[in-house]
Amino acid sequence: MRIAVVNNCVPFVSGGAEHLAEALTAKLIEHGHSALLVRIPFRWEPPGKIIESMLACRLLQLPYVDRVVGLKFPAYYIPHPNKVLWLLHQFRQAYDLCGTPFQSLSDTDDGRRIREAVVHADNTLLAQARKIFTNSGVTSQRLKKFNGLDSHVLYPPLSRWEHFFCAGYGDFIFYPSRITASKRQHLVVEAMKYVKTAVRLVVAGQAEDPADLERLYRIIQENRLSDRVQVIPRFITEEEKTELFSRALACAYIPYDEDSYGYVTMESYYSRKPVITCSDSGGTDVLVKDGQTGRVVPPRPETIAIALDELFTDRGAARRMGEAGLDLVGQLSITWDHVIGNLTA
Amino acid sequence: MKIIIASSFTPFAQGGATVIVDSLADAIRAQGHRVEVLALPFHPQPEALLEQMLSFRLIDLSQHGDQLIALRPPSYLLRHPNKVVWFIHHHRGAYDLWGTRYQDIPNSPEGLRIRDSIIHADNVALREAKRLYCNSQVMADRLRRFNGLEAEVLYPPLAQPERYYQDGQGDYILCVSRLVHHKRQWLAIDALRHTQTPVRLVLVGQPDPEGDSYARQLAAMSQEGGLGGRVRITSNWIPESEKVELFAQCLAVIYMPVDEDSYGYPTLEALQAGKPVITCSDSGGTRELIVDGETGLVTAPDPEAIAQAMDRLYQDRAGAARMGEAGRQRIAELGIGWDKVLRSLLA
Repeated sequence: MRIAVVNNCVPFVSGGAEHLAEALTAKLIEHGHSALLVRIPFRWEPPGKIIESMLACRLLQLPYVDRVVGLKFPAYYIPHPNKVLWLLHQFRQAYDLCGTPFQSLSDTDDGRRIREAVVHADNTLLAQARKIFTNSGVTSQRLKKFNGLDSHVLYPPLSRWEHFFCAGYGDFIFYPSRITASKRQHLVVEAMKYVKTAVRLVVAGQAEDPADLERLYRIIQENRLSDRVQVIPRFITEEEKTELFSRALACAYIPYDEDSYGYVTMESYYSRKPVITCSDSGGTDVLVKDGQTGRVVPPRPETIAIALDELFTDRGAARRMGEAGLDLVGQLSITWDHVIGNLTA
Repeated sequence: MKIIIASSFTPFAQGGATVIVDSLADAIRAQGHRVEVLALPFHPQPEALLEQMLSFRLIDLSQHGDQLIALRPPSYLLRHPNKVVWFIHHHRGAYDLWGTRYQDIPNSPEGLRIRDSIIHADNVALREAKRLYCNSQVMADRLRRFNGLEAEVLYPPLAQPERYYQDGQGDYILCVSRLVHHKRQWLAIDALRHTQTPVRLVLVGQPDPEGDSYARQLAAMSQEGGLGGRVRITSNWIPESEKVELFAQCLAVIYMPVDEDSYGYPTLEALQAGKPVITCSDSGGTRELIVDGETGLVTAPDPEAIAQAMDRLYQDRAGAARMGEAGRQRIAELGIGWDKVLRSLLA
């Protein structure tokens, strides 16, 4: 089959969704299809540009393509008679972020009109897809709640799972992720104030806002944690990441109300390491089961500290939970075969 | 600097237009710049042209990158305050092919409106460019004639010219090109019937999407009697190394599209490998590199004339080698290379 994967793009910006789109295209080719990735620029400021971007997608054509897989707003509006959707998320400003501090559409007539246009386009055009898949239960629930549309969850697999391995269970907890307020690295750094064992922490990732990084350094300095907390304040390579995972005791991933489980969770399990997450972290609950594949604790430094100490004291439990995590990935069919089988059915 | 390279593409078609984008991106990256390639799908179907042009126009990239380099139409409609255009062709049905049998827009009031809108949009968007370059003298002439614009010719180099080499003279004439009718592979097969020497023909190229019938037609022609198995067709993808080897070991290259806009990569590949090129008097841009008797042979587009050219090169190997060598010098004379391209585009 000739398949076009269609995603939005912001020039010179690349993140998880771009990575997933590229991985999907590559895996489709590995599975014997002809596949290409189409990236359509999306601009949302000033808000009038949202409507222009939507219209631009609607006016494009995709000839010589047997199937389209649409991923993100507004690229998924591109017309095609044989389109399936694998929604990573809708335009959240028009939905769940409306009325929150993250809202960018103002509460004016213009803002409301744009919001209505987005909801109307989603209601009409998403419904025309042959089938709708999403990347998480949260995305599916929102689609049902706001647009009345049913969908199936197709969990995104890791693109290079075979790179991850286990080389034992060391003395440190590993938190690899962009350093940003919503990922809450500061909570686990603060937790290190309360630990009673010799457990260490390694935080790695690029800081979008230098203030978030300074906040971590301040906590470390004020509490004299520098000998037990290491911050690698940059993008780390795949090799560095797999190597650190291989030696870690466990992984921490404690974002605030994430839509999906996050690649970090999967990477941890492929390295046979348990995951510590928080009860308000959102989508991580799909893969992190308290006491079975990791620890789910209230989002407070003191409670996180207890979980860190317990894992440090019982390495056997860390190993058992890490291995159970990988089993769960298999039970939930989080594999490329499963994803591609559904998207091309 | 941050550079956006914008173009358009027909899904699943391979050809010079995608090669120029990728090789330009590589060349700019090699100078230490960050490059974002934005290639948007485009269906050159007359009824849908204006809608798609509007789509490109609605995409505003003015917040991103220090410069936008636009190539294939209608990517130069994209909005950016620092836009440079390296023009590679018009929508020809609205321009030079209007009034010919290749005119794809209907001769109706509606068709005229489409044609005029295309010309108007091109006039507006190309005048927004800070600098306007084109890929051949043919294009420079057309831009002047149809749009009243002056463009400097910036010849597209090969992605990696240093890969090409010369390795003897085989008994075959090579034709590397997409398997589409206007590239006239059929004429080359036809010509082979009229040759007096045992010269062979090797065709390499992939059909366009939905273009299988032409590929089948070529295959059938090559099986017909009288050719004695002297035609070999490879219509699946081959690795670059294999292609380069075919160039290195051939006797000569044949490339005779109908009225091409530019010299075409096969012509440049041949000269880079030190091989003469057979082309036709009506092939357009190839003539900018191929001078009859100097860097190849220019013949009338008929089978007998082409057969004579094939025989001549087969019988006069020394002459073929001399023309191939002259071709390399021609590339140097014209200054075809990435240094010049980047100096101009990024100035």
